Amino acid sequence: MFRWALGGASLLGGLVCLEVLAVASGQPFYPRPTEISSRLGDLFVQGRIYSSLWRSLQNLFLGFVMSLVSGIGIGLLCGRYELLERTIRPYVNALLTTPTVVFAPIYFAIFGTSRWSIVGLIIHYSVFYLIINSTTAVRAADRGLIEMAMVFGADERQRMRLILLPSALPLIFASMRVSMARSVKGMINGEVLIAVVGLGAINQDFARVFDLSGVFAVATIVVAVAMLLSFVLATADRRINHWVPNVRKS
Amino acid sequence: MRSIERGTSVIEITGLSKTFVKSDKSKKTVEVLRDINVNIRENEFITIVGPSGCGKTTLLRMIAGLIKPDAGTIEVGGRPVEGPSPERAMVFQTFALMPWASALRNVAFGLELRGTPKKEREEIARTLLEKVGLKGFENSLPSELSGGMRQRVGLARALAVNPTVLLMDEPFGGLDEQTKRLMQEELLRIWELERKTVVFVTHSLDEAILLADRCFLMSARPGEINKILDIDLGRPRTRDAELNPKYAAFKKELWEHLRQAQVEDETLARKVNVTE
Repeated sequence: MFRWALGGASLLGGLVCLEVLAVASGQPFYPRPTEISSRLGDLFVQGRIYSSLWRSLQNLFLGFVMSLVSGIGIGLLCGRYELLERTIRPYVNALLTTPTVVFAPIYFAIFGTSRWSIVGLIIHYSVFYLIINSTTAVRAADRGLIEMAMVFGADERQRMRLILLPSALPLIFASMRVSMARSVKGMINGEVLIAVVGLGAINQDFARVFDLSGVFAVATIVVAVAMLLSFVLATADRRINHWVPNVRKS
Repeated sequence: MRSIERGTSVIEITGLSKTFVKSDKSKKTVEVLRDINVNIRENEFITIVGPSGCGKTTLLRMIAGLIKPDAGTIEVGGRPVEGPSPERAMVFQTFALMPWASALRNVAFGLELRGTPKKEREEIARTLLEKVGLKGFENSLPSELSGGMRQRVGLARALAVNPTVLLMDEPFGGLDEQTKRLMQEELLRIWELERKTVVFVTHSLDEAILLADRCFLMSARPGEINKILDIDLGRPRTRDAELNPKYAAFKKELWEHLRQAQVEDETLARKVNVTE
């Protein structure tokens, strides 16, 4: 209980400081928490937010799920089959490290103003990270366990399903949560840079008139979405990977 | 499978040799086992003891089918060994339990792999857990169990598949002295219930004598079986066997042999270090 309160109190304190600074500075553009909450109120009351949020969430869901399936799938296969990993390694490394914002125009060129340019960008942001982590997760599997499975009669498929996969899940889940954050980033970048729909559009409307409180309001919504998804993933992680011993001392 | 009468060989090893190639840049070869010839009879408890690096674990893993020989043959139950199989179940020094599964599921693993229905395999697993003294711990995760308890699970898992031969690779090596001594006594008790054919690798002289019907002494690399001791301390056996004067004689003989092998091994190591 206390640990939650500490975080919450810190956040509240930060907001108060921000408000005070904003008033003291006298600058009209300085984002003020009271104004930010009023923008949030407007957005929800006037109803503009709902369709935009829904649209953004759709894109996010599509992109993230497709990332998960392809990223983890490819990563697991790469972990198991070295030749495959070697073959796609140059692409994964290059695309992981290249600043992703460079690719926005490329996706726009391919998919135009349809939602797939944003979904493509979301996948681009998150899939390579998943591939690398899933590969590592499989590689890190305990050789002794695999040998044990062989002794007790497991064939290749059983070894992958019953030993490799459960061994790899904790690391895969950890990378899923980071990957989710990257997906959210891809979504916003995509909406701001490419199609100007959804939350990105609202963000641009505020930014154009230098209504920074409005920009922060959108940011708050994005953060809220990300935190909710993070919470869902963390809960699933705890349930599925309940067996991982906790090294941290409380 | 051919039926095996008491006293007949269940494991026949002929002319077994193995050479490893060093994985570093030197590509030097290391002769690990040389011309091993032994027979192991049904219901025998065999211990293999030798200095570190003598190849005893390699020999065990070859019986298991995890390593292929360069020369010679291994036959178990009248058939040549072609790969790992639950007929030659193993108990591992590192326990090798699935950390995400309960004790029950770990014990039932071999049965799960061969498709035994859930109810049946859990029944068998429960019985075995009780046999090894872990009643009440069916739902515990390995991380919740002590080292000795984890190895009991390992033993139960190996027994669950009703193997022809039980292979044990320094199973108590990772345990503290007192847990080790308790586990040795527990193993004697459990073994007495069924008298499976066991091949037990150890570097502990006490284990080699206390548990065995016969004890194979191996030399330093390249490993050969130099001597086979007939441990006639009677069955059923308990810790009291240590008080038998024959026990001390065995231990003396064992150490004299091993000490020589240990000295040779260290001399060799020193020579190698000097020339490199």
